[in-house]
Amino acid sequence: MKALMSLGALIGVAGLLLLGGMIFNVIPSNTVRLVEGYMPMQMLFEFACFVAGFAGLSYMMSAMGMALPRFWQGIGFWAFVLLYLKFRVYPPIPFSVRAMYGTVSLVAVFMWVSASEEDWKKFKQPIMNVLDAQTGLNKLLRYAYLIVLPILIGGFSYNAMMPKSEEPIELRTVHPAPPASTKVHGKTYTLQTSQNPYRVNPEGKYDQEYTNANIVEQGMGRLMKPNANPWDEKNQGYLKYVREGGEIFFQNCHFCHGDNLNGRGLHAFAFNPIPANFTDPGTIAQLQETFIFWRVSKGGIGLPNEGFPWASVMPPWEQHLTVDEIWKVILFEYWHTGYYPRTWD
Amino acid sequence: MGLLTGKRVFSIVALCMMVGLLLLPIVIALPSPAIGEEAPAGDAAKKDGDKVEKGRDVYYKTEGIVVGAPAPKTTDGPKDYPRYNFESRVLIWFANQQHLYYGSFVLAVPIFCMIIEFMGVVTKDKALAKRYDQLAYDFIKISLTAYSLTAILGGILIFTFLTLYPAFFGYLSSIFRPVMHIYALMFVAESGTLYIYYYGWDKMKEGFLKWIHLSMSVVLNVIGTLLMFLANSWIGFMMSPAGVDEQGRYLGNIWHVIHTALWNPLNLHRILGNMAFGGGVVAAYAAYKFLAAKTDEDRAHYDWMGYIAMALGVAFLIPLPFAGYWLMREVYAYRQQMGITLMGGLLAWLFIIQATMIGILFLSSNYYLWQAMGRMRGAEKYQRYIKYLVFLLICGFLVFITPHTMVMTPAELKAMGGQQHPVLGNFGVMSAKNGGINVMITTTVLSFIWYMRGNKVSTVSWAKFGNIFMGVFFACAYVNIIWLAIYGYYIPANVRVGLSVPQVATTLSCLFFMFALNSVMMRGAKQMGPIEWGKISVRSQYALIMLATAFTWMMALMGYIRSSVRLFWHVNEIMRDNSPWAYTHTVGFAANMISFNVLFFWISILFVFWMGSLAAKKAPVEAKAGIPGSVPQPAASH
Repeated sequence: MKALMSLGALIGVAGLLLLGGMIFNVIPSNTVRLVEGYMPMQMLFEFACFVAGFAGLSYMMSAMGMALPRFWQGIGFWAFVLLYLKFRVYPPIPFSVRAMYGTVSLVAVFMWVSASEEDWKKFKQPIMNVLDAQTGLNKLLRYAYLIVLPILIGGFSYNAMMPKSEEPIELRTVHPAPPASTKVHGKTYTLQTSQNPYRVNPEGKYDQEYTNANIVEQGMGRLMKPNANPWDEKNQGYLKYVREGGEIFFQNCHFCHGDNLNGRGLHAFAFNPIPANFTDPGTIAQLQETFIFWRVSKGGIGLPNEGFPWASVMPPWEQHLTVDEIWKVILFEYWHTGYYPRTWD
Repeated sequence: MGLLTGKRVFSIVALCMMVGLLLLPIVIALPSPAIGEEAPAGDAAKKDGDKVEKGRDVYYKTEGIVVGAPAPKTTDGPKDYPRYNFESRVLIWFANQQHLYYGSFVLAVPIFCMIIEFMGVVTKDKALAKRYDQLAYDFIKISLTAYSLTAILGGILIFTFLTLYPAFFGYLSSIFRPVMHIYALMFVAESGTLYIYYYGWDKMKEGFLKWIHLSMSVVLNVIGTLLMFLANSWIGFMMSPAGVDEQGRYLGNIWHVIHTALWNPLNLHRILGNMAFGGGVVAAYAAYKFLAAKTDEDRAHYDWMGYIAMALGVAFLIPLPFAGYWLMREVYAYRQQMGITLMGGLLAWLFIIQATMIGILFLSSNYYLWQAMGRMRGAEKYQRYIKYLVFLLICGFLVFITPHTMVMTPAELKAMGGQQHPVLGNFGVMSAKNGGINVMITTTVLSFIWYMRGNKVSTVSWAKFGNIFMGVFFACAYVNIIWLAIYGYYIPANVRVGLSVPQVATTLSCLFFMFALNSVMMRGAKQMGPIEWGKISVRSQYALIMLATAFTWMMALMGYIRSSVRLFWHVNEIMRDNSPWAYTHTVGFAANMISFNVLFFWISILFVFWMGSLAAKKAPVEAKAGIPGSVPQPAASH
C-alpha cells in the first residue's frame, strides 16, 4: 500500500511540476503532446493520474506528520482544475466552457469535503477560526476579509457591467435543421430518403456495406485498405467514383477545406470561422449524406434562419457543379476521412 | 362474523361500482364514432354513390373516408387569435405547465401509495407494517388537496385555449371528440375512486378488506395512467399527426389519431418522469418537515419519509434517460429535421441545460446517500472512498454537459482554429454522452449498494469471494461502458445507435445483479448498529430540496423543448400557427419563464402542504396516538 501511495505521490509531484512549468511558460503546453485521435481520453487519463497522484501525496504527507488541512486540499484541488484547463489543454478552451467546468469542479470539491460529517468539520475549521477570531492573526484576517471581499465583488461587478468593445458572443448553430426536401438543378430530393447514387458495388448496385468496407482506416495515419486504392485504374464502381470525387475536390474544394480535409486550406485563415474540419467527429460523421448534399448545393447563402448569423462563405455549388459531381465529391469526403455517413435503419 | 360478511359484501359492491365507473365512459363513448362520424359518411356514400371522398393518412399511408373538415387556415386577427394586450402563448404556457405539474404529482403519488401500502401488507414486522401504512396515508393526504388544484388548473387551461386559441382548439376537439369525452368521464371515475380510497382507509385497514383497499389503489392507478395516455395522444398528434390526410381532414380511424409515431415513447417517458417528479416533491416535503421539526420523533419520521420518497424517485429516475433516448430515436425516425432541431440545431443549447439538470439530479441523489451513511455506525469504512466516486461522477457529468457548439467570442473562435475543439469537441457527440450518463448511473448504483451495506457485515461463508466478485463486476462495467463510448467513434451511426443497448444492459446488470447479490450477501448479516433515523446532516435535506427543484425545472424545460420543436406549427405540417408569436423564444426568455413556473409551483405547493398540516392538527387524539411512525424503530431493513 505504502509503495503504491509513494508511486502516486511521485506522479503527483511530477505532474504538479510540469503544470507549474506550463503556467509560468517555462515549458510549452505541447511538451507532453495531446495525441491526435486519442486527445479526449488522454485528457481524462491525465486527470485520473493527477487525482491518484494527489491521493498519494496526501497520504505521504500525513504519514510524515505534515498533513495538509482539508480546507487547503479542497481549495488547492479546485485551483488545480482551473489551471489545468487554462494552461494544459490546447488549443485554448473558450471561457464559457471553462466556466462550466470550473463550476462543476467547485461542486465536486464541495461534495468531497462535505461527504462525511468529520470531513466537513475539518474543512470548516479554518473558516470558523477566522470568524471566531480568537487569535490575533485570525482577527487580522477577519478584518482583511471584511475589506478585501467587498472590493473583490465590487471589482467583478464593475468588470461585468463595464461596456466592452469586444465583438459579441455568437450562439451559432453549426448544423441547422435541413428542409424536408431540396430542389437542385430542377429535381426535388427528399432528404430523409434520398441516397447517393454512386455508393455502389462493382456490379453497380447500391451497397452501403461494401462502400463502408473500402473507406480508409480510421485512427492514426488514415491508411488505405488493401486492394482499395481509388487511383488504381482497374477499380470500378465505388472506388472509381471516389477517384472522380477526389479530382473534383482538389479542383474546387481543397483551397478552403484543405488537402487533408481538416479545414486548413490555403485560403482557410482568411475566414472566421475557418472552413469545416471534416476529420472532426462532430461534422460530416454526424450527418446524412443528403444533409451534405443540401449544404454543398445551397452553400452559405442557402442557410435557413436557424443558421444565424450565417457565418459561411461557401458558394452554392449547384451553380458550378452538376448533381453527379456533388454526389461524387461527398463520396470522396467520407472515404478520405474514414467516416460513415449517418443512416436511419 | 356477520359484521365481517357485511363488510365483505359492501367492499365487493364498492369495488364493482368502481369498475363499473371505469367502464361507463367507454360504454358511453363507443357508439360515438358510429353515430357521429362513420354513419353519416356511410349514409352519404349510399346517397351520392361514388362521390365518397377518400384521403390518405399522412403517417400510416392508408386510405380512409374523409369525415372531418380540413385544418383551418388561420389568420392573425381577433377571429382566430383573440387576445389581451399580452402574449397569449405565454398565458397558455403558464396554465399548461401548472396543470402538468399538479397532474403529474397526483398521478405519481397514488402509485407510491400503492407500492408502500403493498409493502405494509406483506411485511411481517407489524411495527414496520404500520409505519408503511401510515406513510402511504400521509402521501395520499398530500395529494388530495393537489387533486382539487389539478382539476381547477385543468379548467383554467381549457378556458384559456377556448378564449385565446379558438380555431386551433376547435380543430383539435373536432378530431378528439370521443377521446375528450372518455377523458372527462374517466376523470369522474378517478375522483370517485380516489375519495373512496382515501375516506375508506380506516374502515378497510385489516384482513380481507385491506386487500380490497389495496386493489382499489390498483384501479385508481389504472384509471390515472389511462387518463395520462389519453392526454398524451393530443400532444403526440400535435407533434407527429396521424389519422388525417395532408389537409388535416379526419379519416375516421380514432386509433390512428391516438396511436401516433410518438405516443408510446411519450407515454413511457411521462410515466417514469411523473414518478421521479412525484418522489422528488414528496422528498422535498419530508425535508421541509424535517428541517422544521422540533422533536427527535418528528425528525426520525420525516427522515425516513424523505428516504423512502427519494429511493422511489431515484428508482424511476435511473431508467428515465433510457426512455428519453428511445423518444429521441423515434423523433429522429419520424422527422430528421425535428431531431436535428432538437439536438444539433436551434434547441441544442436547451439540451445542454437539460443535461446539466440531469447531472444535478444524479449528484444530489448520490450526495444524499453519502450523507445518509452518517446515520449508520460502520459506514465509515466506505466514506473514505467517496472521493473516488465523486471523481467518476464528475468525469461522467463533464462529458455529459460538454456542448457540441461552444459559446465563444470571435477572438476565441480564431484562437481555437475552427468551430470544433479538437479535444473537447469529441465530448460533444452522442457516443461520449452515452458513456457519460451510464458512468453516472452505474456510480449511483454503487453508492446505493454501499449505503445498503453501510451498517452491516456479511456473515456468509463466501463473503470475501462475493466482495471481490462485486468489485470486479463494477470495474468491468466501467471498462465496458467507456470502451463502447470510444468504439462508437469508429463505426457507422446506425450501429453506434445500437451500441446504447449493451451500454444500458451493462448499467442495468449492475443494478439488478449487484442488488440481488448484495441482498443475498447481507441476509443474516451482522449489524454494527441500528440506523439512527433523524441523525442525518441538514445538508442531506437541502440535497433533497435540490433534487426536487431540479426535477421541477427540468420538467418545465423538457416540456418547453418538446413543444417548441414544432416551430411555427400548431399541428406539425398540418395546421400552421399564424399568430404573431409563431417564433421560438430566446434561451434567456425561456429560462426566465421556466423559473417563474417553477417558483409559482413551489409557492402553491407550499400552500398545499400547509393545508395538509392543518388537517393533521385537527386529527383526533385517538388517531394520533395510533401513528406508529411517531416512535422511531430500529429498522431491520432499508
